[in-house]
Amino acid sequence: MQRRQITLEDGRYLIFYTFDEEAASPTPPESAGDEQAPARVEEPTAEPQATEERRV
Amino acid sequence: MSELRWNPLMGEWVATATHRQTRTFLPPADFCPLCPTKPGGFPTEIPEPTYDIVAFENRFPSLQPEPPAPAVEATELYPVRPGVGVCEVLVYTPHHNSTLAAEPVEQIHQLVEVWTDRFRELSALEFVEYVFIFENKGEAIGVTLHHPHGQIYAYPFIPPRVERELEQSRAHRDKTGRCLLCDILAGERADGRRIVASNDSFAAYVPFFARYPYEVHIASARHLQALTDMTDVEQRDLASILKTVLVAYDKLFDLSFPYMMVLHQRPSDGGDYDYYHFHIEFYPPLRTATKLKYLAGSESGAGMFINDTLAEEKAAELRARVAPVVWQKEGSGD
Ligand SMILES: [Zn+2]
Ligand SMILES: [Zn+2]
Ligand SMILES: [Zn+2]
Repeated sequence: MQRRQITLEDGRYLIFYTFDEEAASPTPPESAGDEQAPARVEEPTAEPQATEERRV
Repeated sequence: MSELRWNPLMGEWVATATHRQTRTFLPPADFCPLCPTKPGGFPTEIPEPTYDIVAFENRFPSLQPEPPAPAVEATELYPVRPGVGVCEVLVYTPHHNSTLAAEPVEQIHQLVEVWTDRFRELSALEFVEYVFIFENKGEAIGVTLHHPHGQIYAYPFIPPRVERELEQSRAHRDKTGRCLLCDILAGERADGRRIVASNDSFAAYVPFFARYPYEVHIASARHLQALTDMTDVEQRDLASILKTVLVAYDKLFDLSFPYMMVLHQRPSDGGDYDYYHFHIEFYPPLRTATKLKYLAGSESGAGMFINDTLAEEKAAELRARVAPVVWQKEGSGD
């Protein structure tokens, strides 16, 4: 496992984890596809976490 | 704004997090902030055309390493403290339409390795007392972002549910000299009716005391407290049993099964938690393909869950949907 850390424009960190040799998935999972389905983000602001609330 | 407000009635902290939404331009309608940024495309959270697994700080965190001063003054009754901590997002895969269940077991193994790295790194921060790894999945629990991802909260205190488990585990150890979860696991293995799946290193079972119809716990066979205590074989076995449970969940109603998944590990405050025992808990909100379990009066107001199903029957339903996990490469697994 390799990790590469970068700093985003607003100062947050982001870490890429890559796994070269071991266990690269030979076939993509069935339901995966390269095309993007509509992300169904409710607000145009598209903030992933702002939309995550427990609502049971 | 973000701060921690003390609830003196319950003796616990509540995080307030209000974020101003300032945007000067809008992304396209089908925009997913967790997809790779395609060349020439609208920039997502992840400024690269591809990746395996990515961890990043949440853009709107309720806890942050250098939080602003609280917006209100503390009083004797109402202590207030800055919302110090870390909130991370973990993107499991670049495949937008996938799920953790649909990913190959090798990818889940990689996620276990990333979890371990994040646990180790966040635990070492001096203001962090508990590292909480979790996933909210599905619209049924309010998640509208479908790209497979989980989260990590690094808290500046031990959260109350974990504290309760620690107290119970400590009391059991004081009384019997044994580990509570080791005893639970031995009991489940001996009984067998609630076991969903098992391998050399882990067992998955619907707990005797399940609060949700399809609640499943995964506990390590060996008495250990955290991901960082596991051997390579145990980490592979953890990936295998996660894959097993997730696939069985999806087969239940032939739909992508919603759940909350939480990892319960030892705190990171430097204390000795040798009496605690690593496990993962799943709380799925579905009772049937179309009916949700609501947290209603008794659950929310009294803390007593009412489960109108039998753990033994639900475990049998899941057990009937367990399929062998196939690793593409040689190694352990089941
Ligand atoms: Zn996506
Ligand atoms: Zn134990
Ligand atoms: Zn637990």
